[in-house]
Amino acid sequence: MPVRSNYVENTSPMFRILSPSQCEEILLAAQEVLERTGVTVYDEEARDILKKAGCWVDGILVRIPSAVVNKALRSVPKRVTLCNSRTGSRDVRLEGYNAYFGTGSDTPFTIDPYTGKRQRSTKESVSNACKVIDALENLDFVMSLGIVQDVPLLISDRHQFEAQVLNTSKPIVTTAHDIYGFADIIEMCEIIAGGVEELRRNPFMTLYAEPISPLQHAWEAASKLILAARKGLPVVYTPCVMAGGTVPATMAGVLTQGLAESLSGLVINQSTREGSPFIMGGVFTIMDMSSTIFSYGSPEFNLLMSSLADMAHYLKLPMFGTAGCSDSNLVDEQAGIEAAMSIAMTALSGPNLNHDVGYIEYGSTSSLEFLTINNDVIGMARRLVRGIEVNDETLALDLIHKIGPGGHFLCEDHTMKHFKTETYYPSLIDRQRYESWMENGSKTLFQRANEKVKDIIENYEPDPLPKDVQQKIRAIVERSEQSIAK
Amino acid sequence: MSNYYEELSQSIISGQLDRVKSLTQQAIGAGDNPVDIINQGLIPGMSVVGARFKSGQMYVPEVLMSARAMDAGMQLVKPLILTEDIPSAGKVVIGTVKGDLHDIGKNLVSMMLESAGYTVINVGVDAGPEKFLQAVKEHQPGVIGMSALLTTTMLAMKDTIELLKEEGLRDKVKVIIGGAPISQDFADEIGADGFAPDAGSAADLCKKLLA
Repeated sequence: MPVRSNYVENTSPMFRILSPSQCEEILLAAQEVLERTGVTVYDEEARDILKKAGCWVDGILVRIPSAVVNKALRSVPKRVTLCNSRTGSRDVRLEGYNAYFGTGSDTPFTIDPYTGKRQRSTKESVSNACKVIDALENLDFVMSLGIVQDVPLLISDRHQFEAQVLNTSKPIVTTAHDIYGFADIIEMCEIIAGGVEELRRNPFMTLYAEPISPLQHAWEAASKLILAARKGLPVVYTPCVMAGGTVPATMAGVLTQGLAESLSGLVINQSTREGSPFIMGGVFTIMDMSSTIFSYGSPEFNLLMSSLADMAHYLKLPMFGTAGCSDSNLVDEQAGIEAAMSIAMTALSGPNLNHDVGYIEYGSTSSLEFLTINNDVIGMARRLVRGIEVNDETLALDLIHKIGPGGHFLCEDHTMKHFKTETYYPSLIDRQRYESWMENGSKTLFQRANEKVKDIIENYEPDPLPKDVQQKIRAIVERSEQSIAK
Repeated sequence: MSNYYEELSQSIISGQLDRVKSLTQQAIGAGDNPVDIINQGLIPGMSVVGARFKSGQMYVPEVLMSARAMDAGMQLVKPLILTEDIPSAGKVVIGTVKGDLHDIGKNLVSMMLESAGYTVINVGVDAGPEKFLQAVKEHQPGVIGMSALLTTTMLAMKDTIELLKEEGLRDKVKVIIGGAPISQDFADEIGADGFAPDAGSAADLCKKLLA
């Protein structure tokens, strides 16, 4: 055996947008924004907490000295783990470059897989969506893929969580209207986990909250950051900014202001309780200056997502990313192109908790067919990121010599041993020959996806929650209904 | 007939604020009728801008630059004419509803309406029914526009409509609504007069409702 030095191995592709110097410059710029311009905070308690932490509070305007930001960056955990709600298994480890994929949450509309029509999402559509996500092997976590709108809207968040947790055991990222909704959802989770401490040790739910750009923390958002910290539960805080609209048109300006919004949220969270789990989000994109949509498919959306991932790795913060979504109004070629590009770039960049898989219509509508197609795209991306293993076994020199010119590799043990792990076989992507494709009904990718979706809805059974737990959750939902009836 | 008007229109289209100001000043100095300056110089330029935006040849920031240039011209001409002679497409009260601080969409609509010649009274964000009612009483607009981004806050739109009914003002004003969770169905359900999916069509909707 030779001795070999100076050998460098890539066990995955290497990909980044920003250098460490550029990350540092953007971080310092964001700190300057917080120190000079500041943010508005519409929650009195949050302002008190910030003042005690050393921020300069002037009415609702809060300016944050850089030292306070640095302190929050030191106290925040570098990793967050999310669990299976039935088994407590610690499946989703948000750290380093681990990339996990899941759906998005609050679309007003969804495409009914049976009629093909765009309709308002309901408790049933959310339940079906969660079943489908639960069944798809490349989806790691769940967001509801629609707002439940066929119940009283003021407490629809409780129904939405119930629909999710009954139909999936995968970790859930959920929204709540306010801290009262959030508190009810936490109570449901504590029942499922078997106690307050048990939930904190093995959280299977994280709350989604967002500031309002530019640089504003509404009461709902700030109070959620505080409640999550007090409960020791993870919270995703995600500025949704549009270049040229709510942030500068320049990409560096987008990153700077968006990061300032995230970091000020982090300071509220960490100043409430140091060491609280916090997941930095950021749906950074452009405002399309013709239609004014918030774009989910532009190249800038991908560029910003990947560069924010570089920032998150630089800061050693778990990150909530976005992928597998489209501006297209239907599941068509455009949707496929946009989703494939964002999923590939996300997999290569390594933000951790990547949501919105299955969104079409610039985030206004969800499609289960699109989700199911993207399940394959994620599988393909996972293969890309596994890279190429180079060693004696994979170089296979003895085998090449044995087969020699003119032979074949089909009947070799080496082929048998490696072909299934070296190659990825998607389930819906079609590689049939023309004649067999014709014989099998000449179906499009969308048609095959639609069949798979219906099959899951009709035949798949997610792991149920125990009956008594289901009843206790129902009681909390009913209690919230009574509270608004008064 | 002034020969400034063609160039004035072109300067509006290219959004050259300083050029619009100096041309307007020159036209005033030359003794042109102020109403003619508006109707033959400023408004025709803005009409081209509106049409180009709709056909995708111009982008929002360009439209807003044109609108700003137009407004600078208007500010110079306005003091010279009686208020009732100032051409206005109508008055619109606009705001984001109670509990909601999202305002980029509402502001876009407001600017697009202004550039289409409407007088806009912007009541800001987190505006409860009373705030809209007060603005209706004070300004007597032809239209009120309400915006919401959240499914929880969009319910507040109905409260404003109900309050207008109680006050006997509902048939005095058209109500239009917009925002991400809003649809035509929702507008029908709460008894609004119209829904617009984006800022450009909001201006068209006002035009239709006030015709």
